[in-house]
Amino acid sequence: MSSLRAKRPRPLSPNIQIYRPQLTSVLSIVNRITGVVLSASAVVLVVWLIAAASGPEAYAAAQGAITSWIGESVLFGCTFALFLHLCGGIRHLVWDTVHGFELGSIYASGWAVVAASLVLTVAAWALSLALAG
Amino acid sequence: MAYDKERTLIIKSSDQVPSTTLFKRFPVPRNFGVSRESRIGRGKTWPAPAGAMRVKSFEIYRYDPDSEGNPRLDTFEVDLDDCGPMVLDALIWIKNKIDSTLTFRRSCREGICGSCSMNIDGTNWLACMRFISDLATPATIYPLANMQIIKDLVPDLTHLFAQYAAIEPWLKSKTPEPERERLQSPEERGRLDGYYECILCFCCTSGCPSHWWNGGRFLGPAVLLQAWRWLTDSRDEGTGERLDNLEDPFRLYRCHTILNCTRTCPKGLNPGKAIAEIKKAMVERRS
Amino acid sequence: MDRLPTRSPLARAIGLGSAKEGVEHWWVERVSAVALVPLTLWFVASIIGHTYSDYATFIVWLGTPINTILMILLQVALFRHTALGLQVVIEDYVHSGAKFAVLVTMRLGCFSLAIAGIIATLRIAFGG
Repeated sequence: MSSLRAKRPRPLSPNIQIYRPQLTSVLSIVNRITGVVLSASAVVLVVWLIAAASGPEAYAAAQGAITSWIGESVLFGCTFALFLHLCGGIRHLVWDTVHGFELGSIYASGWAVVAASLVLTVAAWALSLALAG
Repeated sequence: MAYDKERTLIIKSSDQVPSTTLFKRFPVPRNFGVSRESRIGRGKTWPAPAGAMRVKSFEIYRYDPDSEGNPRLDTFEVDLDDCGPMVLDALIWIKNKIDSTLTFRRSCREGICGSCSMNIDGTNWLACMRFISDLATPATIYPLANMQIIKDLVPDLTHLFAQYAAIEPWLKSKTPEPERERLQSPEERGRLDGYYECILCFCCTSGCPSHWWNGGRFLGPAVLLQAWRWLTDSRDEGTGERLDNLEDPFRLYRCHTILNCTRTCPKGLNPGKAIAEIKKAMVERRS
Repeated sequence: MDRLPTRSPLARAIGLGSAKEGVEHWWVERVSAVALVPLTLWFVASIIGHTYSDYATFIVWLGTPINTILMILLQVALFRHTALGLQVVIEDYVHSGAKFAVLVTMRLGCFSLAIAGIIATLRIAFGG
């Protein structure tokens, strides 16, 4: 009897809408987001190099854009993204040698990545400001 | 072990209840990317019987294929003095005392059959192995994530078992059968430990974001763990063809080491590590 | 064709079969990552060191052979790694027919940017 009626499509249970974010999934998506951000930064790098190759006026225009307050904040964000992706990438390379897969190590290395990225970003910018002034 | 809800940054074992995350869900809209038939509506509230002293609220996903509506979230008030300590006990109590149409899979009630896997308070676990006292208030119970739902908390696992069959989970041998048993040293048998114990509850696979987005082609952690179980079995002679069949940008390489699988396994197994071993074998055989 | 509902669950799980390739992509992504660890650290250190240098100083610095070589190596590794990483991201999220168009566009874009960056570096090194 029920096979004669057109069957309703079955609903799909919710996934990302209800699944709890944990250090595992959060750090993984952060690694991906920072990777995409760095891909955009690579484009900016090439544009900057072309500006440098085009002579002092083009270079000055590029430097002017970078040293504006919006340029500096974007640069700060990109530095943080770089260090997050770098430390996260090293964590991935260690996993590729099949080490550090126990849950305790996963969590410890995860927090280490967050801490190291923060420290490196702050250190890089502090060093840059110290060298300037 | 499950009674101590210590708030700790370093999780040492998967049965530590996830109570320390900052956010309960990712900051996406409630119905993000959800098809029309999957949108969850508000459901009924079923109060506890009169005279109940210790009451806890459970929000449970409901879906009735025989009536017209969308899935909904019903709220049940459970009398904790009248039911056992585990989430499965609460579900059985609701079915016996409040709403007999509540549908869920269950069998052994001791964490070995894998039937009662579901999403409890945002992570996948076995209902018979989760203490009610470890839950939030109200507790939220959904079916396993990203599954087609047959009814209430019962997902359709056909595709997952088909993926399991696709990796040919049996001993492959070309040399003739030996007179007695196929010999295996204790060390070789030890290489199966941590992989043969899988109960195919699919908590890991349905918690893997890569399987959410590419589940049609990505095999998922449970199936890949079993694939490694057969790859590392010293008696098996099909290692080459098994690796050939796994070497695919989707079947194996959709794994990006997100590691939700290892975090959520109710048996404490490590699918992430098994997949890393497969990837290592892939590289070793061509260098 | 391989995912029609009339096909059995096993046939749908097998799909079009294994592509029998994928380890090369994984390997090159790791090799380029290993190369990028020291190269990006060198790059960040150099940028910090040259925060307030003027144009002439920067041009002379980039023109020295070792820095030109490192900058070119950085761009080769960077765009190789970027192309592979973005390919995985696109394959994960884009499933419609547009997937191949997006993949090809991305790959050609990364290659062109790499060539552009390398030529710009060489012009600075060999130019005036």
